[in-house]
Amino acid sequence: MGKISETYRGELIRSMEYLAKDKKTIFLGQSVLYSGNAIYNTLETIESSRKIEMPVFEDVQMGLSIGMAMNGYIPVSCYPRFDFLILAMNQLFNHLDKMQFMSKGQFKPRVIIRTSIGSKKPLNGGVQHTQDYTSVFKSISTELDIVLLNKKNEIFPAYKKALTRKDSRSTLLIEHGDYYNKK
Amino acid sequence: MELSLTDKKKEIDKLINFELKVKKVYESGLIKAPIHLSGGNETHLIKIFSKIKKTDWVFSTWRNHYHALLHGIPEKWLYDEIVDGRSMGIISKKHNFYSSAIVAGILPIALGVAMTNKRNNTDQEVWVFIGDMTYETGVFHEVYKYSKNNKLRMKFVVEDNDLSTNSPTGKTWIKKTKPYKDIIYYKYKRKFPHHGTGNWILF
Repeated sequence: MGKISETYRGELIRSMEYLAKDKKTIFLGQSVLYSGNAIYNTLETIESSRKIEMPVFEDVQMGLSIGMAMNGYIPVSCYPRFDFLILAMNQLFNHLDKMQFMSKGQFKPRVIIRTSIGSKKPLNGGVQHTQDYTSVFKSISTELDIVLLNKKNEIFPAYKKALTRKDSRSTLLIEHGDYYNKK
Repeated sequence: MELSLTDKKKEIDKLINFELKVKKVYESGLIKAPIHLSGGNETHLIKIFSKIKKTDWVFSTWRNHYHALLHGIPEKWLYDEIVDGRSMGIISKKHNFYSSAIVAGILPIALGVAMTNKRNNTDQEVWVFIGDMTYETGVFHEVYKYSKNNKLRMKFVVEDNDLSTNSPTGKTWIKKTKPYKDIIYYKYKRKFPHHGTGNWILF
């Protein structure tokens, strides 16, 4: 769909527009409807009716994303920083990551999770806003697919796979905040 | 629909006998996983489930056998799941039934189902059964507040036996939160231990 964009951020926007073409997707999280972080800038072209601004309750947000997926929707659950996603690890690993196994395949909730390693340039957000926990998450996941988006041309195929994969596994896609304006 | 006294007695016997059957097989050493037997709350649950439609969603905990039976899950299927070691996490998509062995874990998931029910404009209720320790958690209060403010079809049922495993909820918190007026709250005395049957078993 469409032409590859010039920047990392452009590819994220193209990917979000692609996801939005599926009527089952719904975008939720902090700063999806209101400005405040980099992810917001990649969702500006998505219709407001498809976005739900969430209170700050990370674990509940992950759980409700699971519930929505169990009932036929495809939530795109956004966590502005990896450091914040840690607060949702209970629902992520005790529930979503075990759901197909626990239910013997009865429930296959497809949740697409977005997060970002906080940028260090031009301002360094410090140790609580810039961590990369990719290897930690990979080491404890069983059903969840975890993808670190290192290059611009990896972004669109990764989101396309997350939306269409036949095994219906959920995907965590990790962005680099510092790459947004890179080509 | 309220049951007649005779039917109620039959239903109570059915629940009790099911758990006694599970108790017996557990004590034979066949089940290689924890079981959490229900007991002492039959009358409360039969009354509550008389209001639950078969198409409604029911979310339960590790102590879920009574909830599952009363929501229409066949006895044999449930029994086989328990014998296979899945007592703590009975799940049946066909019956809109989900349970979890993580304290408060079901609450946010139930919230998500209720949100989509509202978007789909269905009249399905989402029933969430929790214990009194879960009622005191921050997660409960976040989910309760969000569901009320969004006018979601969710019903919260607190089953208060004043114990979380064997820790007394009232003593750990010093003081328990008063039941909100719009939730169902009942007290009962646990008939069986937290898990197992109370008897020594050699596996």
